[in-house]
Amino acid sequence: MSVLSAILVGIAMGIVFGFALEKSRVFEPGMIVGQMQMKNFIMLKVFLTAVATGAVVLAALNGFGMVKLAPKAALYSADIVGGLILGAGITLAGACPGTTLAQIGAGYRDALFTLIGGLAGAVAFSYAQPTLSKTFLAQGGGKIIFSDLIGVPYWMAALALAAVLVVVLAALEAWRPWRAELGSDVDGDLPATGTPNVAARPQPAE
Amino acid sequence: MLSQKAWSPYLAGVVIGLLQIPAFLIVETALGASSSYVTVGAWLTAWLDPSILDIKYASAHVAATAKNWWQVALVGGVAIGAFVSMKLSGAKRAARSPVWSRTLGSAAPTKRYVVAFFGGFIMLFGARIADGCTSGHGLSGMAQLSVGSTVAVAAMFAGGIATAMLALRRI
Repeated sequence: MSVLSAILVGIAMGIVFGFALEKSRVFEPGMIVGQMQMKNFIMLKVFLTAVATGAVVLAALNGFGMVKLAPKAALYSADIVGGLILGAGITLAGACPGTTLAQIGAGYRDALFTLIGGLAGAVAFSYAQPTLSKTFLAQGGGKIIFSDLIGVPYWMAALALAAVLVVVLAALEAWRPWRAELGSDVDGDLPATGTPNVAARPQPAE
Repeated sequence: MLSQKAWSPYLAGVVIGLLQIPAFLIVETALGASSSYVTVGAWLTAWLDPSILDIKYASAHVAATAKNWWQVALVGGVAIGAFVSMKLSGAKRAARSPVWSRTLGSAAPTKRYVVAFFGGFIMLFGARIADGCTSGHGLSGMAQLSVGSTVAVAAMFAGGIATAMLALRRI
């Protein structure tokens, strides 16, 4: 596909992505920091729902032979070291690389600093990459997926994962109803003390 | 529905997950976000230091390929989509989320901006070490049952939770 049509498809998909991030409120720093402080679980709910949906979609597309999977290679040291640093950054930024742009779109000014910091971090990594690629961080296996490890077709294991996630999400929702986690200004800024009181707060329409 | 301030996280999650269909069928890739920072960052840097393109990693990300610039367009579209959604619902945001003055123990904008820059820096440095972020490893890697992506996501939450407990005050 041409670069121009890829860009047009990207913008269209991004608009839908950004819309869903904004409507779910998962882009809010209050939601992301709240998740990392185990106080608010909307981020986990959106994330696991998107993973389950993606698993069902890919089970169908791959199961009927329409697409090939493209998992990343398992570089365990890099996954652990990079993941820990990335996680620390997500908490301090109150954003992840995608939601930073949603924050900018919704009007958070500090997200511009997150974006510039992110670009600087990506450039710094680019300069360091030739050196880092000679270290333990480049060591690892191939594109390993769980269904191959247990010896079942991908579609079967993907549907099983989705089913497990639906059960987890139902339990999560029973424990922490999502409406009680929004906050009065839908930014995850909840009253500091006590358990969230659903009745005391204005309710968003269904 | 488009004018609502908040959707169910489950509805929004389904919408995001369905984006894998055009990603795999049209662009032949998975949803991701952090590579685009290398594409844009290295492209901008090349104006000041053209030698960055001698680094294969940088030049491969800047190259005029559909996948590279699709992802840049994707994250640009995210900003547009969030802006439109916010305008439709009227959920206008202040310059900074109210949670920051409590978590950082200071309402000073400068302190927040410094923390945001630093957070953004290590967020992308870490994402590039891990070769993916919450989108590439999280949404796409876990849906594909990738073992490495699952390890990366567990590390992200471990790093994020530890930092939230140690460096920030409780929300």
